[in-house]
Amino acid sequence: MGVRIEGMRVLVVEDESLVALQLEDMLLDMGCHVVGPAMRLRAAGELLDSGVGIDCAVLDVNVSGEMVYPIAERLAEMGIPFIFATGYGRDGVDQRWTAVPILQKPYTSEEIGESLARCLQ
Amino acid sequence: MTDSRQADAGMGSRSDAAVDDGPTVDFFHVFDLSTSPHMILDRDFRFVAVNRAYENVLMRPREALIGNRLFEMFPERSEAQERLKASILTAFETGEPDTIALIPYEIDRPAAQGGGREIRYWSATHTPLLDAGGRVTFVIQNTNDVTAIAHLKASGPLAGQAATAELALWRNAEAVEEAYQQTLAENEEFHRLFSQAPGMIAVFEGPELLATFVSDTFSRFVGQRPIVAQPLLEALPELAGQDFVAMLTEAIEVGTSVTREGLTIRIRHAPDNLEQTFYVDFFCNPVRDAEGMIYGVFVQGVDRTEAMRAAHHQRMLMDELNHRVKNTLATIQSMARQSFRDPGDLDSARYAFEARIMALSRVHNVLADRRWEAVPLTALFCGNALGADSARIDCRGEELLLSPKTGVALAIVSHELLANAKRHGALSDADGHVEISWVFDRAGPDRLTMTWREIRPKGFEASLRPGMGLRILRIIIEGELEGSLAIELAEPGLICTFEVGLTGAAGIAG
Repeated sequence: MGVRIEGMRVLVVEDESLVALQLEDMLLDMGCHVVGPAMRLRAAGELLDSGVGIDCAVLDVNVSGEMVYPIAERLAEMGIPFIFATGYGRDGVDQRWTAVPILQKPYTSEEIGESLARCLQ
Repeated sequence: MTDSRQADAGMGSRSDAAVDDGPTVDFFHVFDLSTSPHMILDRDFRFVAVNRAYENVLMRPREALIGNRLFEMFPERSEAQERLKASILTAFETGEPDTIALIPYEIDRPAAQGGGREIRYWSATHTPLLDAGGRVTFVIQNTNDVTAIAHLKASGPLAGQAATAELALWRNAEAVEEAYQQTLAENEEFHRLFSQAPGMIAVFEGPELLATFVSDTFSRFVGQRPIVAQPLLEALPELAGQDFVAMLTEAIEVGTSVTREGLTIRIRHAPDNLEQTFYVDFFCNPVRDAEGMIYGVFVQGVDRTEAMRAAHHQRMLMDELNHRVKNTLATIQSMARQSFRDPGDLDSARYAFEARIMALSRVHNVLADRRWEAVPLTALFCGNALGADSARIDCRGEELLLSPKTGVALAIVSHELLANAKRHGALSDADGHVEISWVFDRAGPDRLTMTWREIRPKGFEASLRPGMGLRILRIIIEGELEGSLAIELAEPGLICTFEVGLTGAAGIAG
């Protein structure tokens, strides 16, 4: 792991309760601070509006029937790195975002740690 | 016997006003005196004129014929009447003469000549008569009674020397007529076969791609619009610029067959509808005349749209299935993590884990029964559905159908509450029970308020442990379902009240 992710503030956008809960646990176990989880796009947007400190993000792609891309755009504009975590895998992510690391569910906490470290480089 | 002047009344349009002073020919007189039988019909098949030869050979005076319909005067039950009619119609419709080389036709013999029916053999030519505007107004029939030759033929080799030429003529006429009828029948047969072919068939000719033949299937494909004898792009303007036209042109210009699989074609399939997209396999062949010159293109098509849609749908289903399996695996992974978080009590951890998987499995069964479309709320909270003693669970509320995602979320809520009641609450007592009730407010923003009330007659120790179950309830109700959750411990037992909105994507199934 090139970059230490300990102490990072990680925005979580994930609409499946149990998956969000687990991701929260994984991040907490790695010493991260969790922002969210935001389970709707609107909630994620409000978190960004609030100006809360965010170092990086894990984004589910389909969030309660909405695509997460508007949030991805905002993060990109804000210079905040992020990764996608989706049940669809790489085929489920728009071509526009091929440079972004993509994790397919289910994932391990090691995979989350490595992907976040990679996107933070 | 009548004279020609009487027939004149029937002709109506005749003009014998000669302009010059020289001797004139009275053409009507010529018509009347011709030894060859002639008659003239209008579009209603009414006689407008007949000549003497015709009167004689048909054994009817003109007074009996003029103004009357041909087929009322000379009815014939056999198909001969249809053939005769078809020939006359052809002259009317095409403006070209039409000939029947040989046709048997029965006529009535006048009472004076013994009465009864008499079979006669005829050859007939129907020539259109045009008005000044070039429209066909009448058809003149020249018919010859060839019955005598037929009888001559019937008498075989005994026929005299003089008859040989006539016999040859007869045989020729017979052969010509037979060949013609056969060709006609074959043509019609082919036309019918091609028209009814299961695939689409069409022929386009010339640089404008004039349609000269379209099968029934092709006709249906273009919304039953009439396209025969019209340039393709005039009949079906929406094809302009489409690959279909380029394909036809290529076949004609390059002179080789052209194949396109799953060609996209946008067409007004129903007359008033907007364009629809179809995927069609097309096979085109240039068509050549006797000299080998290409004059058109023969197109066959098989509509593959349904198959393509089905394949696309199946691909989507596979993707969706994979997505759901992955999400379910992630959910189970999370359940394992929640269940085994406290390694102190492995047995109860394993029990909790298995119970959670069983709850998830039950809601999947409910979804599978309903083609993954909806979950009835009662199926999540009422007695048997919970795998518990239904006598100890009282369930009240109107039936609601939830979307799959909300259904799965509330199934987990239901399970966590029940598991808690069994381990620590009312269902751990011998005489405790649970009352579940809900109210759905349709007038407001579709809010569901649910109350889980435990009744423990023997009392209990009031302590609420902030375990994993509570954390799961909180994230589902407050996070995923954007609702509110209240849990209190008081006499006679735990009361859990929550309120969630069911509008939008996560709400009630359509």
